[in-house]
Amino acid sequence: MKSIIFWLNKKTMTALMAFMTAMLFSSIALAATTHTINITAETLPNGQLGYKMISHDGSTQNYPAEAIIPGPTLFAQLGDTINITLTNNTGVPVGLNIPGILENAAEAAAGGGSQNYSFTANQAGTYPYYDDGSGLLGLFGALIVNAVDGSVQSYIDGDGSIIPTDAADLDKEYIMFMVGSTFWGAEIASGTQTPLWTNPVLGATLNEVVRFHVLSLEHDHTFHLHAHRWLDEVDPVHQGFSPHIIDVKILTGKADSHAFTVKAGTGVGAGMWHLHCHVVSHMESNMAARFRVDEPGAASGVSVAGATPYGAILLSSNQSDPGLVTFEISDEPGSWFRSARSDAIVDPAGPLGALNIKTRSLEVMAPGSSAHFIMSDTRAVHTITTLIWPSDADSENKHDIPFDQTKAYRGGGIVQLNTPGLYVFTCKIHPYMFGAVIVDDPSTEGLDLGEAIDLVTGIHDLPTTSDLATRLLRTFFVATTQENWQDYTSPAPWHADYPDVNVRLSGGAVLNLQAVLESRYGQDIVLGPLSKPVTPGIGEVWINTQFEKTASKTKPGTITVLDTTNWTVKRKIALPGINMNHPHNMWVDRNQATVFQTQWFDNKLTFINQSNGQMIDNIQIGDSPSHVMTMPDSDDITVAINGENRIVTIPAGTTTPVSSIPTQLPGQVPANPHGHWITPEGKIVTPNINSSDTGFYDGHSGQIIARPAAGGNFSHGPHPIAIGVGNNRIYAANLLDHSLNVYDFDGNPVPVTANGGKPYINLIASYDPVSGDGAANSGILPIQTPVDPTGRVVVTANTGGSITIVDTSTNTVVAVLPCDPGCHGANFGAKAGGGYYAYITSKFSNRLIVVDPDPNDDGDFSDAAIAGTIAMADNSATTDDAVVSLAGMGGQGVLAIPNVYNGWVQQLPPEWQAGLTEAQRNPVP
Amino acid sequence: MKYIFYSVDSNCPQHVPKAVISDHKSKSKRLLSIWILIVSIFLSGTSTVLAREAEDRLDTKSKQGKLHLIELWAEKIPAGIEGGNDLFAYRMASHVIKKRNNETDITSRYSMQPTIPGPTIIIDEGDEVRLTLKHVFDPGNSATLEQVSVHVHGVHYDIHSDGTIEYINLVADESATPTMSYTYHWVAAPGTAGTWPYHDHNMITLNGAEDRGLYGAVIVNDKKSKILALNKAGKLQRVPLSRIQKEYVLFIGDDAFWGTEINNKNRRHTPLWENPTLLAQEKSFVRFHLIALGNNTHNFKLNHYEWTDPGTNLVISEKIIGPLEKHVFVVQARGDSQYWDDTFIGNSLNMKGDFNVIP
Repeated sequence: MKSIIFWLNKKTMTALMAFMTAMLFSSIALAATTHTINITAETLPNGQLGYKMISHDGSTQNYPAEAIIPGPTLFAQLGDTINITLTNNTGVPVGLNIPGILENAAEAAAGGGSQNYSFTANQAGTYPYYDDGSGLLGLFGALIVNAVDGSVQSYIDGDGSIIPTDAADLDKEYIMFMVGSTFWGAEIASGTQTPLWTNPVLGATLNEVVRFHVLSLEHDHTFHLHAHRWLDEVDPVHQGFSPHIIDVKILTGKADSHAFTVKAGTGVGAGMWHLHCHVVSHMESNMAARFRVDEPGAASGVSVAGATPYGAILLSSNQSDPGLVTFEISDEPGSWFRSARSDAIVDPAGPLGALNIKTRSLEVMAPGSSAHFIMSDTRAVHTITTLIWPSDADSENKHDIPFDQTKAYRGGGIVQLNTPGLYVFTCKIHPYMFGAVIVDDPSTEGLDLGEAIDLVTGIHDLPTTSDLATRLLRTFFVATTQENWQDYTSPAPWHADYPDVNVRLSGGAVLNLQAVLESRYGQDIVLGPLSKPVTPGIGEVWINTQFEKTASKTKPGTITVLDTTNWTVKRKIALPGINMNHPHNMWVDRNQATVFQTQWFDNKLTFINQSNGQMIDNIQIGDSPSHVMTMPDSDDITVAINGENRIVTIPAGTTTPVSSIPTQLPGQVPANPHGHWITPEGKIVTPNINSSDTGFYDGHSGQIIARPAAGGNFSHGPHPIAIGVGNNRIYAANLLDHSLNVYDFDGNPVPVTANGGKPYINLIASYDPVSGDGAANSGILPIQTPVDPTGRVVVTANTGGSITIVDTSTNTVVAVLPCDPGCHGANFGAKAGGGYYAYITSKFSNRLIVVDPDPNDDGDFSDAAIAGTIAMADNSATTDDAVVSLAGMGGQGVLAIPNVYNGWVQQLPPEWQAGLTEAQRNPVP
Repeated sequence: MKYIFYSVDSNCPQHVPKAVISDHKSKSKRLLSIWILIVSIFLSGTSTVLAREAEDRLDTKSKQGKLHLIELWAEKIPAGIEGGNDLFAYRMASHVIKKRNNETDITSRYSMQPTIPGPTIIIDEGDEVRLTLKHVFDPGNSATLEQVSVHVHGVHYDIHSDGTIEYINLVADESATPTMSYTYHWVAAPGTAGTWPYHDHNMITLNGAEDRGLYGAVIVNDKKSKILALNKAGKLQRVPLSRIQKEYVLFIGDDAFWGTEINNKNRRHTPLWENPTLLAQEKSFVRFHLIALGNNTHNFKLNHYEWTDPGTNLVISEKIIGPLEKHVFVVQARGDSQYWDDTFIGNSLNMKGDFNVIP
């Protein structure tokens, strides 16, 4: 650093400060301009929202005619007065906030209304303006307040000199908003503003002086530009002895900004320079743009816009520019990937009319357009991961397909899709979140589902006409459409709506999608009557009706408490005071007095009084906590942090976490454990969904014992999801591998004779994925998989709609029972007079299935049967918040109280042991 | 693009000689190199190890500094050694400093192992670096680990030394591969003094494996300027570089700190691995070089110590640091302390270590 030059700069700064001070306290302030600005908020063709400039009296800027993202850039000078009239032409309230300048000023304008905002630009700098409610959907822009003398951020030249710069020296200014995992760009040159949309190429000619205005909303980002460096912004009163030269800058908090000037290519030359967020998950979800520095020439320095909300998507009038479909990631059941224009899509009077696709999670666009995801309506961490893609896409688009993030995080994603066909996106943490994009070649008849699809598990070239392909499609339409869920309180047959549209499948066959799905999987299916089991159970069953919505909460989910002595719903617990968000799984302390409840789409663990359903405490525990369980010996609480990398432990009787057991060594890919279980001697066994292994940890020392690989049917991504513990045997369900791994307690794989000695039980051995033969006798997409307290039988809830019964003496499937769509939770409770019931829940229905694995108590489980079914929707039950919709839906975690599993039953207090038989009190003699 | 032929008889990296450096502006030599490349492919088959060197147009005419000839290897860390298991790392294979006709080999200052963080490359403002990267991974993994690179922050380099793939830079895959090394050219021009990360950008995906261990720091010292420190009396003091006894390079990952230290007295580099205990002599000045990496935003604290926030006149006791940001400060050791990441995740994962001061 040439300090002399820096001191010159320091003098300039001092002079500037003196000038600013003089200006504020003198008549120079009279020179300030008054701006009268009329802007509107508009809905863009893809459903995103944007601000549009109508008029700006007091500025010579040349604004785009349409609503844009980012919104119009407002330039002012220090001391200017700015009066903005905002007219809201959208259907949601829209306001205007500017941190540090205009905070809590006026209320938002209601849809169709308008609002005035007035303020003085009393600090120089770059500020985000944005709407507080829907900002992430596109309602954001930049306010740039320049110093009165025109000075802007100095830049550092290639020889190290720091060059004071005036606004008049700037060849260009770029606005780069970092929102979700996408850059939204604009360029201002010679007073003309040009929208550059998503992830643009910013063009400049070598040695042009350009100013970047980098801004952010909601999520943290770090901005990095290759091969350039610049001066960190320092408040003049805190200017130190030497400048801070940086090339990465964090943007943090609700809204943030950072502005700097560079001389394009100085010291490094021309080139296509990468520009990206340096947060790894954001890099992996394509948060990158380009700064192209050209040698001087006729066409040098021209920027190139990225995919735009006005471009080539279904129904758009512009089919020539790359378009953008946008999904909001949401906590709303079914609409976890919600198209930004879904209100219009599902409206029978809307532009799609009688197509009746109902799902809000399907979009259609032209090849070369992009799918865009923004985590704007969720409190959880997620990944954006391709589950299915056209078989050619991974070679034609190899840098983007398959699309995935190594770590779940906040933000979003954007991916250009070039190959026609069907793409299904999911979240690895919450694997029933689905969003689908059909990339349709407009020159072919029917919407292109493609010749063949690949699955994330390593299945290649699966014909789109195959049973597995259409079965997955049907699963998509059921899972993403609340109206398609099974309501057992309605006498009407179960009707699932599918789009009445022609699709193009393998071999160029054009078929009606609705007709294909109805002919293969039926329609208007009569749901069987509910019937209570003849033999009562013992105690209560707590069911996480995770999607049930109540009046005082913005987030879904209740606990439904079932009294098994008479099979009636005793209580609904919604906890409106904490907006309990997606209650997923429970466990209970040794005294059966306190129930622990995870909030899977949040970061909380909730403590609830068993006897009255009142909340005891609600603590932050980690992102997307999935399962909770106590240590059998100490009663300490263990919580799997599914969105991250550890098991958190809380000492018995307290509500404060004291330590974590990392599920992997430092630096390794996070394991993202889901549904753990604990052996009687305190080994914690976790299904590690992200690292595709089963983790064995010493629950006392926290040491990693073993991490054997999971799965076996397919080569990739088995998605281990739940664990059952038997007598010296571990059963680990693999959701996408349709298998159960078998291990001993040290993590050694155990050969399964019935599967040729391979160390897993194949739940789809009889299933033909092309013809569909054998589907009814399979365990497709297994989830919770407990072993009964005696260690003799494994009951697995398969989300494909079946319950498989495995005899642990042979490790074979001895019975398969029907289940509902989204069959999910399973746990054992005591049956009155001896034996056990397995309680089975389903996400996309509202009944509990009670399975008796051994009705005649002969130790042969091939006669396992459904003992009864009970509606989870019951508005007559005691509740702390009125149920308003999705009554009884979303069955997931299930817990019988008293807890009669081996290792825990022995610890029950006498009053809870009283109703149990001797065999139930000592299940493994 | 220039190709240089290495006359070796196997791919075994232990036998690879030091990089051949030639005048990159010589067109005839470049043509010769290409000719040698073509001939070598015909003659030598698979026993050929090739090298590509970034062709560049950097302005080095004002150079008065030293030339650093560095060879780094990118490897998988063996499961047995500390920090191992599925992680990758850089190893310093050779570091020779040339000044006019003098050559000094300083390779022995470094750890002989691949380390996380990778070797700390310490140079002076005005110096040049020619860094040759070799791909030394298990060949069985070469299908997915087919390329690896070094992308550096802060210093000058042209588009051929960006360390990215052609899909990004539109010029070349600037990577070492199992059969080809890659040589990057950096110029620590005036204005680049500071601490900067370097990391892979090309392994597995176009983003590279920077969060799997392939990262390290470059320290560009400005020998002419003094460094602002907060001394043991709590007063600001400007100290010459020579007063700094130790450099602690601490990368803040998502689940641990990963450290290395350099003793400026004997110039030795010592890998300290995760959440290390840092030792300092009482009253000595020590410099912390913090760089975050991964997803999370951190809040760094060093109990009972304060320091100056770079670029400002502010004295601080904590600092928010996001991925790939750097934060560098000097303190005078005056008592035991603990450094930590005071965030919910940092506390949950016990991301902390001791800073112990020896009387």
